[in-house]
Amino acid sequence: MLESRRQAGEIRYRRYMTPQQPVPSDTELQSSHMSEAIQPEQSAPKSGSPENGALPRQDKAANGGLRKPRPRRPNYHEIHAKSLPLDVYPLPAFVPHNPISVVRIAINLLSHSIWPPKSHRVVHRAYYSPETRSVHVTDQASIRALWEHGFFGKGSLSRSEPQWLVAEKRKRGAEASKTSTEVTQSRREERKQFKLERAKAQREAIEQQLRDEGKLSVDGSLDQVVDDEHVPALPLTIETGDNTVVDLDALVPAVDKTSGMLVLAEHDTEPVPEVKIQDLEHLQLTPEEAFFLTYAIGALDVVEVDNTDSAEPSESYSIQHLMRLYCAHAVSTSKITEETLIEPDNPFLLKYVVYHHFRSLGWVVRSGVKFAVDYLLYIRGPAFTHAEFAIMIVPSYSAPYWTEHAQEKKSRDWWWLHRVNRVQSQVMKTLLLVYVEVPEPWDNATEDGSKLDVGSVLKAYKVREFVFKRWSPSRNRD
Amino acid sequence: MDEDEELSHMRAPDRADFDPTEETQDFRFLEKLTAQDSAHPTLPKRGEKDFESHATNLQLDTLEASRRAMHGVLSWQRTHTQKGHIIAMYDPERNMACVDKVRSQHFQTIGTNKGGREWLLPEEALFLLERGTLDCRWPVKREVGDQGLYRTEDGAPMTLQSAYSAFIGFEGGVGGKLTLEMYNVYAGLKRSGYVIFRTGTWDDDRGDALLAPPKAEEQAKSQPGVFKRFFTEIWRRLSQPTHTMSPQNLAFGPLVKPGLYRSYNDIYRLLNIIPTHDRTAPPSFILPPSADNPFRVHFDVYRTTAKFRKSARGPPDFRICVIDARSTLVPTCAQLNDLMAQVPEDRPKESDPPYQRLKYGYRNLILAVVDNGIPSYIRVADSAFGDVKIYDRAGPRGKGGRGRGGGRGRGRGRGRGR
Repeated sequence: MLESRRQAGEIRYRRYMTPQQPVPSDTELQSSHMSEAIQPEQSAPKSGSPENGALPRQDKAANGGLRKPRPRRPNYHEIHAKSLPLDVYPLPAFVPHNPISVVRIAINLLSHSIWPPKSHRVVHRAYYSPETRSVHVTDQASIRALWEHGFFGKGSLSRSEPQWLVAEKRKRGAEASKTSTEVTQSRREERKQFKLERAKAQREAIEQQLRDEGKLSVDGSLDQVVDDEHVPALPLTIETGDNTVVDLDALVPAVDKTSGMLVLAEHDTEPVPEVKIQDLEHLQLTPEEAFFLTYAIGALDVVEVDNTDSAEPSESYSIQHLMRLYCAHAVSTSKITEETLIEPDNPFLLKYVVYHHFRSLGWVVRSGVKFAVDYLLYIRGPAFTHAEFAIMIVPSYSAPYWTEHAQEKKSRDWWWLHRVNRVQSQVMKTLLLVYVEVPEPWDNATEDGSKLDVGSVLKAYKVREFVFKRWSPSRNRD
Repeated sequence: MDEDEELSHMRAPDRADFDPTEETQDFRFLEKLTAQDSAHPTLPKRGEKDFESHATNLQLDTLEASRRAMHGVLSWQRTHTQKGHIIAMYDPERNMACVDKVRSQHFQTIGTNKGGREWLLPEEALFLLERGTLDCRWPVKREVGDQGLYRTEDGAPMTLQSAYSAFIGFEGGVGGKLTLEMYNVYAGLKRSGYVIFRTGTWDDDRGDALLAPPKAEEQAKSQPGVFKRFFTEIWRRLSQPTHTMSPQNLAFGPLVKPGLYRSYNDIYRLLNIIPTHDRTAPPSFILPPSADNPFRVHFDVYRTTAKFRKSARGPPDFRICVIDARSTLVPTCAQLNDLMAQVPEDRPKESDPPYQRLKYGYRNLILAVVDNGIPSYIRVADSAFGDVKIYDRAGPRGKGGRGRGGGRGRGRGRGRGR
């Protein structure tokens, strides 16, 4: 999947280039490279002739010929078959023309009624880290289980899936496949290279124009003209993603060296004997994920400190305690006392209500911090589809209590909405504003703190979804 | 495995997203419009975009040509043709204009016929005036005791400046009220080729809550026989362990207590505890009616069709609420609720894929957020996520799950090359 997407990416680079631009077409670069590294079984590519233009299909074939046979990608349907970290026991299918299926069902029913199987085979253990405001899972089996069954959490040293160990092994040459993080990295390299080439070609075109107009000597460069005339010139440096500035002149040898081919991290090292690498990575759960796993699913115990190794496990926190803890940490950065009252519009509560709502509908909900929203909604999970919806949570104070207690509850301005909406349409997500109806304050001092009824608290909130999408008059006329 | 991050860089600009009207224009194309012979009209092409100046003559010449073209167009003198000359009389009482003789195609989609005369709403009169179709006259000022009859032609012609100051901002009654933002949206959509009318009556503070159209009577389910029902019930009890939620579980968790579950759907049903907005109930207003509530449906917008008749307009294609970005904030849930209550229910087809259904929503309208004369349109849909159970359909599929193209609801430009 990743590989094919990468190819798609290459095709799209080409679309950026308009035909008029005198950029050395990829086909030329390709063919020059092909002459060096053509493989015996590959028939001579048709794209060799210059008038043939950069046709994606042909490039694809040419690229495919150059690439090493890639390792099979894992069967995600098998790995992520369970949508929650619980076990279910469906009855075998009844096949009318196969009488044995009835027997199978009967046996199943009988054995299940005598020895009822358990839905919660393991209760994972984790501890709360106040510094990172996240819940850490350190046990390897738990990490895999929580990630694979419902896509909970993220690796502390990875972008998303805990992959540090795999990447590390690969770095030391122990394993051949690439992790998705590395694929992304190499794609970024390609992109950087592409941009540099494009900028260089544009600059050359301008220099050529200047020469034609006689403003530049035959072997002069653009810098002279700029110095002479004090005109801000075409950028001679371009910004790359990681805030480094690359000088275009320094680039020239780099392009020649690779003859325009994209630099891929190809390690031709021999397999190194397996080394024992200690996995330094743990899984980080957001408070909302952890609370969902504890309160709703019952698959996670949050304990006081990290002593999962010790024989005597420490006492796990109660739901009430956890709720007060997460709520307190969501509002205050200073010294936290867990006895403070929970405001009804506590950010943790609002986020949790929305998280729970969409999880209970079967969506895979993950943090949307990379697109500057609260959540992203996936069907089945990030391994299968892109997220389609991006959620922004908006607290709503419609209850009569709030009109009486006219507090300064700030609303967002339109520029905020435009900003959010622009970003989301750029990354092809649909913006969803989820209004959470905030009830009047329910946490009063008279009540005993430990008697907090989480269920009734959650039921006091109400959500309503509105889809916001830019509308263009010129696109909806007919 | 998070791949989303990469997407934005890799794709060509999304066609759906690209709006040429937002780009800075190369005005040289105007020259072609005015200079070309009318027998063979061709569409002008846009030039390429330079981001920074470099020292080439080519660039300087292009820029100069563009400036000249713009100036040429602006200095072109526009005149009324004798044939299409329409004279209207301004009515200061109602802030409208009145036309005696209708002599233009425009009146197929503009104006209201009352008592044999065509009345123009302020935005309609201003629009026609601005495009040079209408010659609006001030009424003749009468001296005391002056009983003479004056024709429309006797009044002084109205300049564009005076038309703007006369028509816009009249607050005497809701009917005559026109804000500059409303006119911006009206004129913009009109120029883009839409037919646009004001919504409803303008005497009330807001429209009525529109109830959902009465549904066809629920299909009387054919009752299965007694035996069949008996065995179905037995089978259900045998195969489906019943799960109920005790108050204890609700208060202290976990919602899913350990036990035997036949499917994840059972678990998801147990998890469903967060209340959502009830969309089956008839819509109701939350806020009290108020004349200064900025959120109301202002315009009905129709696509241009050959058989459009302004006397029988039918339901509009789009409903527009005009907002001033400088004086309002993003609507609260109550404001959106009240706004949505005024538009009729417009459900997507049940057969549509879930993404499409969710994006379409049960009710929808378009907010035109005008910021100093520049409108941005946002379609808002009241989307019932609670009605689309993803777990029901997202069960594990076999291998080869990639060929689902249509079911993915990705829309244009999405999933290409994936």
